[in-house]
Amino acid sequence: MEYRDYYQLLGVARTATAEEIKKSYRRLARKYHPDVSKEKDAEQKFKEVQEAYEVLKDPEKRAAYDQLGSEWKSGQQFRPPPDWASGFEFSGGARPGAGGAHGFDGEGFSDFFSSLFGGASPFGGGARRAPRQGRDHHARIDIDLEEAFGGGTRTLELKRPDVKADGSLDVRAHTVRVSIPAGVTDGQLIRLAGQGERSAGGARAGDLYLEVHVRPHRLYQLEGRDVTLTLPIAPWEAALGATVTVPTLGGPVDMQVPSGAQSGQKLRLRGRGLPGQPPGDAYVQLKIVVPPASSPQARAAYEEMRTKLGTFDPRADLGR
Amino acid sequence: MCLVSETDWIGAGEICALCRLDLAAIAELAELGVVTPRGTAPTEWLLPAAALPRLALAGRLMRDLGVNVSGAALAVELLESQQTLERQLKRLEQLLAP
Repeated sequence: MEYRDYYQLLGVARTATAEEIKKSYRRLARKYHPDVSKEKDAEQKFKEVQEAYEVLKDPEKRAAYDQLGSEWKSGQQFRPPPDWASGFEFSGGARPGAGGAHGFDGEGFSDFFSSLFGGASPFGGGARRAPRQGRDHHARIDIDLEEAFGGGTRTLELKRPDVKADGSLDVRAHTVRVSIPAGVTDGQLIRLAGQGERSAGGARAGDLYLEVHVRPHRLYQLEGRDVTLTLPIAPWEAALGATVTVPTLGGPVDMQVPSGAQSGQKLRLRGRGLPGQPPGDAYVQLKIVVPPASSPQARAAYEEMRTKLGTFDPRADLGR
Repeated sequence: MCLVSETDWIGAGEICALCRLDLAAIAELAELGVVTPRGTAPTEWLLPAAALPRLALAGRLMRDLGVNVSGAALAVELLESQQTLERQLKRLEQLLAP
């Protein structure tokens, strides 16, 4: 595994005070928080910053980490020394990731963190806990709009803190098969009963909640269960009216464009959005596309329009 | 497996666990209009499942960025408003694109 320089990640000196560390964490968390940041790879950077803060804010963990020495560089191959963390006293109770990695209980922290502060280390602390019901876990699932419309099945690889037989905690990878119901919307939760934290002592396991995020789509924009599509039409289709074929999530449908339609006008296809009770609608926003006057015939057609529609003034409302 | 329906109403205790917020914070968020509970005493409140994403967002902002309840409520409203504006902007850009 690779060594992580937590001081470098937080942009502070090894001699930084607790206040300086907190200040730097706050600044970087604000910059990279996935809910507010537009930065590239914000989520990954935020987790790194959180992991660094998880160690450096805790005097016990920080002292143990400092014990590794200052010669290490980020990315160097690393293995914890055999006497790792020996000679330290621990207040106990702390568990890896406590405080939450974006609300996911430290999931996503590095192997470096797990090897030093995970369940197998004296920092794991789980062995001192009394048997109790497993806690609920949370994770995020990104799906395409087509999956939200038609449903589907997904296999997810997740990491979770797990209670071992001796009561201590460890971070383990596990696989979850999820059925995505048709009509699921952005932000909705899928509950998988008993798939959260296992419990020591035979109590009930927690549930796993998956928060659904629908990826942006090339054609459609989703708002609740409604979808909006921008539909290019020709000027004569707008002027004279036409029956046009519109792609919808459920397949192409014919739609009547009324005569005299304008760019930006919205037409509704009732019930053609995401399924549900009631189903969402599909909105078609018209966009008039003007053909180029690139041939003598096209130029002649436009000239004729100018002659015959000469009284038309698109700027009449602007005043003179 | 089940889908937590948008039309479900969820007990305050479960909401606290799901969003990792304490009841006092939920009550303050309700006072600020982030969520409208049903019922009288906060311990017996029912809250709409549709409000889960915004309550969870408020919880994350409070934990991760150290903002207080009022700050989280304001940020939630501004972020939602920003999302709406971004959607409108995208639509207009599509409309104006050659």
